[in-house]
Amino acid sequence: MISVANRNYDTIVIGAGHNGLVCAAYLARAGKRVLVLERRERIGGAAVTEEIFPGFRFSVYSYVVSLLRPEIIRDLDLPRHGLHILPLESTLTPLHDGTKAGDYLAQWGDHDQNRRELARHSLRDAEAYDEFGRLMHQMARAVKPILAMVPPDPASLKPRDLAGLGRLAAHFRGLGPRHFNALSKLMTMSSADYLDEWFETEALKASKSASGIIGTLLGPRSPGTAYVLLHHYMGEIDGVFRAWGFAKGGNGSVSGAIAGAARAAGAEIRTGAPVERVLVVNGRATGVVLESGEEIRARLVVSNADPRRTFLGLVGEKHLPGDLVEGVRRFRFRGASAKVNLALDALPDFKCLPGAGPHLRGAISISPSIEYLERAYDQAKYGEFSRRPYMDIIIPSMIDPGMAPPGKHVMSIFAQYAPYHLNGGWTDARREEFGDAVIDTLSEYAPNLKSAILHRQVVTPADIESTVGLTEGSIFQGELSLQQMFFLRPAPAWARYATPVHALYQCGSGTHPGGGVMGAPGRLAAQVILKAGV
Amino acid sequence: MSAAVVIGAGVNELVAAHMLARAGLQVIVLSGGAPRNEEPEIGSIAFDVLRAAGLPGAVDSVWPDPWASAPLPGGGRLDLWRDVGRSVEAIRKLSARDAERWPRFCDRMGRLARMLETLYLQSPPDPLSRNLGDLARYAGLGFRLHRIGRQGIEDLLRIIPMPVADLLDEWFESDALKGVLGAAGVMNLCQGPRSGGTAFRLLHHHVGSPPGVFRPPSSNLRAALAAMPGIEMRRGATVARIAVREGRATGVALTSGEEIPAALVVSGSDPKRTLLALADPAWLDPELARAVRNIRSRGVVACVTLALERAPDWSTLVVAPSLDYLERAYDEVKYRNVSRAPYVEVRSNGRLQDGRHRVEAHLQYAPYALADGVSDEMQRARLGRLAVETLSRHGPDLGATTVESVLSPRDLEDRYGYPEGQAEQVEPALDQLLWMRPLPELARYRTPIDGLYLCGAGMHPGGGIAGAAGYNAAREVLRDLRNK
Repeated sequence: MISVANRNYDTIVIGAGHNGLVCAAYLARAGKRVLVLERRERIGGAAVTEEIFPGFRFSVYSYVVSLLRPEIIRDLDLPRHGLHILPLESTLTPLHDGTKAGDYLAQWGDHDQNRRELARHSLRDAEAYDEFGRLMHQMARAVKPILAMVPPDPASLKPRDLAGLGRLAAHFRGLGPRHFNALSKLMTMSSADYLDEWFETEALKASKSASGIIGTLLGPRSPGTAYVLLHHYMGEIDGVFRAWGFAKGGNGSVSGAIAGAARAAGAEIRTGAPVERVLVVNGRATGVVLESGEEIRARLVVSNADPRRTFLGLVGEKHLPGDLVEGVRRFRFRGASAKVNLALDALPDFKCLPGAGPHLRGAISISPSIEYLERAYDQAKYGEFSRRPYMDIIIPSMIDPGMAPPGKHVMSIFAQYAPYHLNGGWTDARREEFGDAVIDTLSEYAPNLKSAILHRQVVTPADIESTVGLTEGSIFQGELSLQQMFFLRPAPAWARYATPVHALYQCGSGTHPGGGVMGAPGRLAAQVILKAGV
Repeated sequence: MSAAVVIGAGVNELVAAHMLARAGLQVIVLSGGAPRNEEPEIGSIAFDVLRAAGLPGAVDSVWPDPWASAPLPGGGRLDLWRDVGRSVEAIRKLSARDAERWPRFCDRMGRLARMLETLYLQSPPDPLSRNLGDLARYAGLGFRLHRIGRQGIEDLLRIIPMPVADLLDEWFESDALKGVLGAAGVMNLCQGPRSGGTAFRLLHHHVGSPPGVFRPPSSNLRAALAAMPGIEMRRGATVARIAVREGRATGVALTSGEEIPAALVVSGSDPKRTLLALADPAWLDPELARAVRNIRSRGVVACVTLALERAPDWSTLVVAPSLDYLERAYDEVKYRNVSRAPYVEVRSNGRLQDGRHRVEAHLQYAPYALADGVSDEMQRARLGRLAVETLSRHGPDLGATTVESVLSPRDLEDRYGYPEGQAEQVEPALDQLLWMRPLPELARYRTPIDGLYLCGAGMHPGGGIAGAAGYNAAREVLRDLRNK
């Protein structure tokens, strides 16, 4: 083993999640000597592919790609390092028992086919759909520059921050009143209220508003969920992907490609190297101490861990000002998302659309109505998991046959709500109970499912916390709610990636613009670091 | 002398009417609907508004003390007083930690509320304005903002979009205390304490009150304004439509058939009714018409009047035992049901002629449109029973109680013109506040029809700040007259 302790590093990145790797790659490309330290034996954080059952490979946690910034793909030349995105073009929403039992709503990639399908449910909605799509595209375009912006500090009178606020004001002004007003509404409304203004088909409203509740302990009627509707359109305008994509080989190949780019630029990545704490001397980070006791020095430390782990865990309160400690303590995590990964002997056969059609190549959304989603949320608010959860399902082996043995399949079920703060806490029994709720609910739509299951893995927020290290299992490293966004993420005055500890930076999703396998925080952090010239 | 017609005789309308009259206009106030002069007006009172209306110092306001009494589950109750120190002692019985934090909380919220008050007595800021006067005003606001310091700015930015439950959980542990404060956050709103924007509503109800008081006073403001000379009051005059010619308001027509010509029409009716029912919607461009139709006015409150045999020994009784209680009450209205365990707030309202004591109960949540579609009569009986049951389950012993009257959201619409029973006309949700109230296109009190203005609670800053919307609207009217 090479003793790295004596080597001279410019930068240590704590955590090899996708943002840590993006940050490392950009710094290495700028000529910095970078060391990435990962606690687990594998890189990727929550973007990993693991062979949980022999022959069956799973994107255990995050499972689709939609928001990865195109400039990162270009700058780091990710396709050359193995990133290959396969399109997920359709969404199937099986309908509820009730008047439309046995029917479905499908959203197809093909415009005309999609319109015909919508018109089957509502002519009015089919008419409104294109106009809605146009507005969403325009809004996504209006938001995009903000995603690439280092947030200014609104309480500062420094020229840098005033200039930043001025740029922000100029950006909004440039949108013109019509788009500014639409954006104000999107930022403050609930997705249900917003969609009610446009559509009448319940399943359409529900499957669209589902994107607003993902990863957050909020329901479709909670204000602030509407803007996430934009995320769905964000990918499209980049012209690189379709709305949702599946990374060939699972989401591990996203982090694998970024790691490849980082290594090619000279970064070093050590796995199985858990960091115990950041070394702070006279208010300055000077390196890290591993759990093994090994000390590694560097001129700069960047943490990809979430704000609570970074500040209260790795750094420690005694090195921090009181207002930041208070800010981090009240930063909300409240993970509410679980995964159920299935190894299948046969494809699910949906009652509403029997057989193995093209719908199995896209997403399947269990979101028959807004009320269904809202009721699922109601249970979670009081510390119970949803008995009939919302689910977003894909069958990766249909798109990428390499994910399962021939003739077999893997199914990835993202399910909500499974609150981290479960009454009585998560136990093995409770975990399986939630898994049963998911399978029972899904079996109502695809009755053959239970008999097709070979293996089942249930991942709760508690599991995500203990395995990946995300506090409270929050997949975005902190809720993406209005009071935790932009210059408030993770704490006011510390949203510019720098920290009160000199030479310590943050680069995770707990900073602007947040999670969703975007890579934007990692890239922005690297830019700030390079500009500061530390 | 040019004539102005003011539609409605609420506090906002009367403030606007007096301001216009004092500027030399001949003002006719059309008071349709049921007169409410005998009822006290609930809402904080700003001196600027009184002065502009010509009423300085002539208003009696009543500040109940304690301003809230919350029954405790094990008997006894939490009294919150105007005196911060006295509240500290009361809170200490529940939680020493909360008691210790109360003065600091009151101070932080008080500072933010004062900032809001400045914002409330102006037309809402237009974030896209290029007008130099506006820009100078914002620079002034920005300067004031910087004077409240980093903590104040950070608090304001965080708190405005926040759920009141998150804010209160950061500060306190006592359910009873959080319930009383959380209730102010959801009052009149079809949202629960876990909805974003409700922390702002807590501040809203704090504006104009001294630190540590989170309920507005009641006053005789409306009666005083109505009695003041200078305007012509026409009672029982209900407006059928607003006459518009070539894009200009030319007067109103009453349901009696009478037409009143006027160059200015200032409407206290809600924006939807004003622009879609009273005026011909054809004057709006289709996109704006659609936006107006989409204004949300979901009423969720029933008003129940009770008569008690015994004099109550509290002035404002709040049944909202915890944030979860409030949230569960809200859960049911989402599915168009009445809360089984509603939030009830009762104000004692003086003695009746027969010696009994009248109290007004605000019962929330009762939806405007019910899932089960019972008859209005049954609905009223059900709501009255629910109020009495809730009070007897949680409250102190009230003695013999009779239900005097019940106004469901539908009744509130019929009687007072509240759209869907929403007393604030436009639901005070985050996307319908400040420069978005009721819509960004209408937030400056003007409408696409020349000479037609909006001045009701549906306009910034909304209900609860007595007369402020009327004050802001009248100022815009006068500004336009000057610039003509």
